[in-house]
Amino acid sequence: MIQTIRIGLLLREAVAAPYRNLVTRPTGAAVRNRIEATLADSNCLTALLDFSDIELVDLSCADEVVAKLLLTVRTAYFVVLQGLREDHHEAIDHVLTHHRLAVASVPPGSRAPRLLGWVPADAREAFTCISEGGPLDVSGLCHNLDWTFSRGREALDDLAVHRLVQPVGQLYYPIQTA
Amino acid sequence: MTRVIEVPTHFDDRSFDTFAGGFGEWPPGEKVLVDARGTQWASPYGLIGILTAGQALAEAKREKPLLTVPTSDEVKRYWARAGFFHEAAELFELHGKVPRGGATGPSDVLLDVTPVRATEDVHGVVHKISEGASRILHGELGLEMKATLRFSMALSEACQNIVEHAGTGGWVAVQAYTFRRRLGRRVVVIAVSDAGVGFRRSLESAHAKRFGERWGDGAALEAALIQNVSRFRDPGRGQGLAFIKRFLDQWEGKISIRSGTARLSIVPPWDEDVPMNEHLPHFPGAQVQIIIPAQEVKTR
Repeated sequence: MIQTIRIGLLLREAVAAPYRNLVTRPTGAAVRNRIEATLADSNCLTALLDFSDIELVDLSCADEVVAKLLLTVRTAYFVVLQGLREDHHEAIDHVLTHHRLAVASVPPGSRAPRLLGWVPADAREAFTCISEGGPLDVSGLCHNLDWTFSRGREALDDLAVHRLVQPVGQLYYPIQTA
Repeated sequence: MTRVIEVPTHFDDRSFDTFAGGFGEWPPGEKVLVDARGTQWASPYGLIGILTAGQALAEAKREKPLLTVPTSDEVKRYWARAGFFHEAAELFELHGKVPRGGATGPSDVLLDVTPVRATEDVHGVVHKISEGASRILHGELGLEMKATLRFSMALSEACQNIVEHAGTGGWVAVQAYTFRRRLGRRVVVIAVSDAGVGFRRSLESAHAKRFGERWGDGAALEAALIQNVSRFRDPGRGQGLAFIKRFLDQWEGKISIRSGTARLSIVPPWDEDVPMNEHLPHFPGAQVQIIIPAQEVKTR
């Protein structure tokens, strides 16, 4: 089950003004607290954070909203971003790379997510493979990418640690985004 | 007795130290008169530097300083249009005729002299800048469209430094003008200044030990701008300046930060400034200047 959270709405609640710019740490912290409160009342598996009403995301807010959410959210959640523009990507990618974190982002008009932040190169390749081709086990991934078994396992373990694929039994599923 | 501090004829980051030197020991014991009668031009950095001095004197509970306004009508009108007198009237006893009213129509002043005291002010600044910034950065300076958003991010981060680190309020102003002498091109300048504790005191408890005897205003600026450290233990801090440096490098922009008795700059190829200036006359708080030049048309 997916819980869609409109960041623009939470921003307007947090600053009590019609601003569309997600800026400053206190604002970011207030928005993150509202996201956490929403998730606490939800039994969803995936939180889809929708940035489509947002004009600007600065570094401080990217850190407070996205990085800290990934650091603190309870491990049962998968977090996916949507509605991001290219410049949003830049800020979020920068802070996540700094923390060695990563998140999936669904570009407008597409169902195939892209990765923002930092994961090892093999994990990034494995993510693309699973996102585009569907669930795979380690052997299936290694077959598709012509990798050794240990390389494939390591890549999938990295993705699982970052909550970027959903392991079910022997299979690794793409995160549900719709 | 009154200490007279002359505002330089051409008042910008280069002549700022002359202005700062006029105050002597901080805070000066005498009543202060800031004399701008002979000033022919002031950058945003200069204008908010005057306000910072006024604010620092007020916070030191000194007698309200005097400010004699420029003699030149043109200069006065420009300062009025930039919102300077509106803010200065709170901090100084103004002497001389001040033009009424503010700007009308399109202007090179992207953001009036604006106080920054709280988070809400940063929201206001970013909201206000967005439309004009696109016109200047993309239309005049030839930067790509996404530059406007990076510019707004830089402005947001620079203003937040006041709210989070200064321990008091500050000022921001943004203006476009032609950098004739140094560059011969149009530039956009962000100036941010506060009368707060400065980088050295802000970072002292967390970082002074590491620097040992080297610790001072210069080392504190180096820690913040080069090593991206923050006074907070939160590992997510200190990224704002790192990001600003990254895109300034791409645009051949310049950032300089003055705090206490030192000034540290990331110097682009077109500028002849030295990276580190130490043993300057003391000035309260911190002053940041970001310069983004028009992009040169690449020819084959």
